[in-house]
Amino acid sequence: MNDEPQVRTSDGSRSGWLPSRREVLGLGGALALGGGIAGALSWHQRHESGLRSRVFIGRADHYEADIESVLSEAFGALGITAAEIKGKRILLKPNLVETARGALHINTHPRVVAAAVETFRRFGAGEILVAEGQGHRRDSWLVLEESGMDGALADARVPFVDLNHDGFGVVPNGGGATPFATLCIPDTVRTADWVVSLPKMKTHHWAGITCAMKNMFGIMPGTVYGWPKNLLHWAGIPESIVDINKTVPTALSIVDGIVGMEGDGPIMGSPKAAGCLLVGRNAAAIDATCARVMGLNPYGVSYLTAASGRLGPIHEENIVQCGATISSVRAQFDIVDVPHLESVRGRSSGNA
Amino acid sequence: MPDAWRDKLIDRIANTAATTGAWGYRLGSGESAEATALAVLALSACGRHESLRLNGLKWLATIQGDDGGVPIGSTVPGPCWSTGLAVLAWGDRDDDLSAGFDTNVSAATSWLLSTRGSPIAHDARLFGHDTMLRGWSWVPDTHSWVEPTSYAILALRDVDRASHPHVREGVRLLLDRALPEGGWNYGNTRVLDNVLRPFPATSGIALTALAGEPHSELIDRGIGYLQETLPRVRSPLSVSWGLIGLTAWGARPAEGGAWLAESAARSLHRPANVVYDAMLLLAGAETNRLSHRSNRG
Repeated sequence: MNDEPQVRTSDGSRSGWLPSRREVLGLGGALALGGGIAGALSWHQRHESGLRSRVFIGRADHYEADIESVLSEAFGALGITAAEIKGKRILLKPNLVETARGALHINTHPRVVAAAVETFRRFGAGEILVAEGQGHRRDSWLVLEESGMDGALADARVPFVDLNHDGFGVVPNGGGATPFATLCIPDTVRTADWVVSLPKMKTHHWAGITCAMKNMFGIMPGTVYGWPKNLLHWAGIPESIVDINKTVPTALSIVDGIVGMEGDGPIMGSPKAAGCLLVGRNAAAIDATCARVMGLNPYGVSYLTAASGRLGPIHEENIVQCGATISSVRAQFDIVDVPHLESVRGRSSGNA
Repeated sequence: MPDAWRDKLIDRIANTAATTGAWGYRLGSGESAEATALAVLALSACGRHESLRLNGLKWLATIQGDDGGVPIGSTVPGPCWSTGLAVLAWGDRDDDLSAGFDTNVSAATSWLLSTRGSPIAHDARLFGHDTMLRGWSWVPDTHSWVEPTSYAILALRDVDRASHPHVREGVRLLLDRALPEGGWNYGNTRVLDNVLRPFPATSGIALTALAGEPHSELIDRGIGYLQETLPRVRSPLSVSWGLIGLTAWGARPAEGGAWLAESAARSLHRPANVVYDAMLLLAGAETNRLSHRSNRG
C-alpha cells in the first residue's frame, strides 16, 4: 500500500540486516545530544569500512537535451565498457507507478528511457527490454499510453513486459529484513543479465524519498503482493526495500532528476526541476546522493540507514562524486509535514 | 455476434490454452487462475469451445486447496484472491458444463466466507477511508481493497449469499472507498491531505459488484466518472470493465460497441493477452456472468 501507515523505523529484532534498536537509539541519541551529523557519520563510517562507489551527476535542464550524450559520459566515468555490455540481456525498469494525463512528473520520462535504450544498444547489448509492475494500476496499456511511454518504446523498438502478470519463480530472500523466507521474482527479471533501475527523483510520504532502491518495488508481481504492493508495505517499507535490493541487485541506476516531484510524493506531489541525471552502479550510493541533491538528509531515510554497509555506502566520503557537483544541481525539495519524516528534513553535510 | 473481432479474439483465446487446460496471462507466462476463469467465462458468454471450457474448469478444480481457496496458479499455495472468479466460472447455471463442480463451489464459498481483510487502526490524519471496515484482501492478513472485495461480492451474490453479513460489510466498504468526485481506484480515497485519482477499470469493477444495491449519489458519481472518462480510453481492460460496470446500472453508452471494436482492433495487433481478450468478449456479450448475475442480485 503505498498507502498504509506501515512506516516503521527498523528495530532490527527480526534479523541481522537492519540496525539494532540499540544502534538506532545510539544514532538518535548522538543526534539529540549534540553529536549531530558527526555522530551519525561515525556510525556509518564503521559500517561502511572499505566500501566505495562512484556516482555520476550529469546536467540536463530539460527533456529536449541530449540525454544520450549525458549517459555516454556517465558510462565512461563509471568505467562501463562495450565489452561489459556486449550480448547481455538488459532489463530497464522505469517507475510507472500510476499515471494521470498531463502529469509527466509522476513517472520516469519516456525520453530518459529512450536514451537509455539507445545507449545500451550502442554499447552492444544483445537484448533490451523495458519492464514494470505498476504499483497502483493493473492496466498496463493505459499506463503506457498516459505516460507517453508507448510511443517512445515503439520508436525505440523495444518490448514492454508487464511484471505484474509475468511468470515468476520463488527464490530465497537474500536480505532477511522482512519475515519472508522467499520472494517471488518475475521470470523476466530472473533471466536478465543486468537489471537497471530507472526511477524518478521523488519525495515519498512514507519512505522520505523514492529513487533507485524503492523503484525496485515495481519488480514484485502484484498477483502475489497485491495492488498497491500491499504485502510489502505490511512487512515494512524499509525492510522490504532492503530485501528486494539484496535479492535482485541492480547493475546500474539512472535517476531522472530533470523534473522530479516534491511534496506529497510519490503520486500527488508537484513538479520540481533539478535539471540532472544521476548514474551509478550502487543503488544505495545513488539514493544517498539523490537525497543530498534534494536537500534532504540521507541519514534520516530509514531504508538508507538500513542499507548502509550492507548494500552500499551512503556516507559522502565513501561515494566518489564525478560529473557535476551536488551543490551545482541541488534543489531543495519540499516534503510533507508529518512527524515520521522529521528526520528526513534538513541537509546532511554537503561536499560541495 | 456479427463483429469479426469477436471471432478473432475467441480463436486467439482458444489457441493459447495450455495442454493442462489452463490459460496464462500471456503465452509463456505460466498458468493463472484469473486468466483461466476469465477465459472460461468469455468462451461461455460466446457459447464456444465447450471442451476447452471444461478443461479450464477442471484445471481450476485441480489447484483448489483443501480449505476451498483457489490460488493464483499451480506453483504456489496462495494467495487465493482468484477464488471469487473461480466460483463465477464453475457456477454458471446456464452452462451444462458446470454441473459437476458443485462441491468446488461449495468449498470456495466457505473459503470466501471465512476469509476477510484485516482492519487497521483508524487515523483520520493519514487516511480518508474507514480502515476498520472489512472486505477482502489480495493477500491473507492484509488490508481490504476494492478489486478482491468486488470479486468476492460477485461470487457470493452468485451463490445467493448476498445477505451474509460479510457481503453487507463488503458493500459498505466499497461505498466508503468511492472517491468524492466519483469513481474508484485500488482502494484509497485520501492519503494525508490529498484526495487520490480514480481509475476506469476499478471503477467498473466496483460498480459491477454494487449492482443490485440501492441507487445513491456515490453510484451516480461513479457512473458519471466513467461516462466522462471512457470516451477517451481504449485500453481493453479499462474500456471493458468500464462498460460492464455501466451496463450493470443500465447506463451503457450507445457508442460502447464501437469502443470495444476499436480496442479489439488495436489489441489484435499486439501479442495476445488472455485477460484483455476475455474482458473484451465479456463486455461485448449480450449477457455475461459478471453484470448478468449482478443484475439479478
